[in-house]
Amino acid sequence: MPWLLPLTLILVVFALYPFFYNIYLSMHEFVPRKRELVFVGIENWARLFEDSRMWGSLWITLLYTGVCLAIQLVLGMIIALLIDSDDPGFGILRGLLTLTLVIPPAITGMMFLLMEDAQFGVITYFLQSLGFLSSGSILGDNNSALIGVMLADIWQWTPFMVLIFVAGLRALPPDPFESAMIDGASSWQIFRRLTLPMMSKVIAIAVLIRGIDLFRTFDYVYVMTSGGPGTSTYTLSLYAWQQTFSFIKWGYGATISLFALFVILIAANIFVKLTKTRW
Amino acid sequence: MLLSPTQRVLRAFAAWAVVALFVFPIYYWITVAFKVEREIFSLPPKVFQFTPSWKSFEEVFGVSLGFENGLEVIPGGGNFYMTPRLVDSIVVAFFSTILAVAIAVLAAYALSRMRIKGQHHFVFWILSTRMMPPVAVAIPMFFIYKNFGLLDTHVGIIIIHALMNMPLAVLLLKSFFDDIPTEIDEAALIDGASRFLIFRKIVLPMAMGGIAATAVLCFIFSWTEFLFVLTLTQTSLKTVPVVSSTFVTSTGTAWGNMAALGTAAMLPAFVFILLVQKNLVRGLTLGSLKQ
Repeated sequence: MPWLLPLTLILVVFALYPFFYNIYLSMHEFVPRKRELVFVGIENWARLFEDSRMWGSLWITLLYTGVCLAIQLVLGMIIALLIDSDDPGFGILRGLLTLTLVIPPAITGMMFLLMEDAQFGVITYFLQSLGFLSSGSILGDNNSALIGVMLADIWQWTPFMVLIFVAGLRALPPDPFESAMIDGASSWQIFRRLTLPMMSKVIAIAVLIRGIDLFRTFDYVYVMTSGGPGTSTYTLSLYAWQQTFSFIKWGYGATISLFALFVILIAANIFVKLTKTRW
Repeated sequence: MLLSPTQRVLRAFAAWAVVALFVFPIYYWITVAFKVEREIFSLPPKVFQFTPSWKSFEEVFGVSLGFENGLEVIPGGGNFYMTPRLVDSIVVAFFSTILAVAIAVLAAYALSRMRIKGQHHFVFWILSTRMMPPVAVAIPMFFIYKNFGLLDTHVGIIIIHALMNMPLAVLLLKSFFDDIPTEIDEAALIDGASRFLIFRKIVLPMAMGGIAATAVLCFIFSWTEFLFVLTLTQTSLKTVPVVSSTFVTSTGTAWGNMAALGTAAMLPAFVFILLVQKNLVRGLTLGSLKQ
């Protein structure tokens, strides 16, 4: 198959080989005194399951994924229903919404870092003048730091949902909706009984793609909080990266990253099976 | 749904208000790029009233102030001079896009046209590459690149970005090829044309729009990527998203300069994304939803 050869080659060399190399790393650990990797067997894996900080970061990752996904889904659907119109100007609105998608997430993180600044941030100022925030900063507080990071993610990726849902809504056949209206169904009934079920395939794909990306979150936490304060915004990706590159635990970092890979592969596969999503 | 005129006005009002909320951070960030330090840190924050200044842009893109003792003088001492980093970003995004599309276009045509044993598994394998957390690739890649001398090189980043975009490129191009009726190929096959000739002379020209859209999306994803560049480069190159942390210094953050660089990095991407509006949803869903 000469057609598939280049792709197969690049996938083997740059995806399969690193994968096996990662497994090799996870069974070794760097010993600074000897300046070399030493075989440790399954020690890293045993450590992984006893590491409360790892479980903590898994919980934060799941919380982050779940909350952002739910908000983006609901908000995305509401906005999609709002801007799915052929009235003049709505095309421009849909175009404007796509802009957030092409900003580098690291830059988005910086944008929100400035806007959430404890003293000069425009979001902080706004929340304080409304009385929602007494004093102190959003990102400096254990309880609100994760929300501060989520805000950046929700801002950047809700339009992703909106655009996909608008496309889905536009592809719906008009007939069932006309007969439902003639039969006197309320807007809510139409949405609940017609729109939602007919959009299920679209929603499933949006949830799958967004869910995977949320689970891998790294950029926002890296630039906005570096995992802090304390460990309140440590995601699994960040934890793995820091173990490898900040604490020189090459083997353990690899082990965490593999664990993250397995979790996402299993979860995504179950989701694909349950929703019968096909490419 | 039929709306009364009043409802339509209300709907338009609500829609514009919501979109304004999403555009506001971009607008605010651009104003920061044009503000002088004093105005960035003023309370209450200045949203509309400020005196625009090019100072941040001049420092970041090094508009020369002339020569002094044979040395070029750049504003701000040249600490924040970022033009080379912008060039790095463009080089990496451009070549990784070409590499990704060139390889993907062959595979996508084969997957679209030929019945291959285990095809379903192959597609699924491509799809699972998209699921890998980047950190699980970046960690082993750091050591592999180190051994092969690819660490901190343009080639290394170009390859990894091409790999990262491969699932998108293959699946998206396959969906564009699927749109072209197979009868065309079959007629040409009967006339004795080879597969490669059909691909080059008939299918490729017909899929040009789709290929262009795929290339634009690959470019954007390389342009915005962070983790691989952060991990696999040291000093010889850095792309814009990674280098923006340079502005965080021990004496405070140079927000104006950072915003100037960010603004310069956003504007080309804005133009690109508006060019592919028609195929955007298809691209974002890896070819599974068509507009």
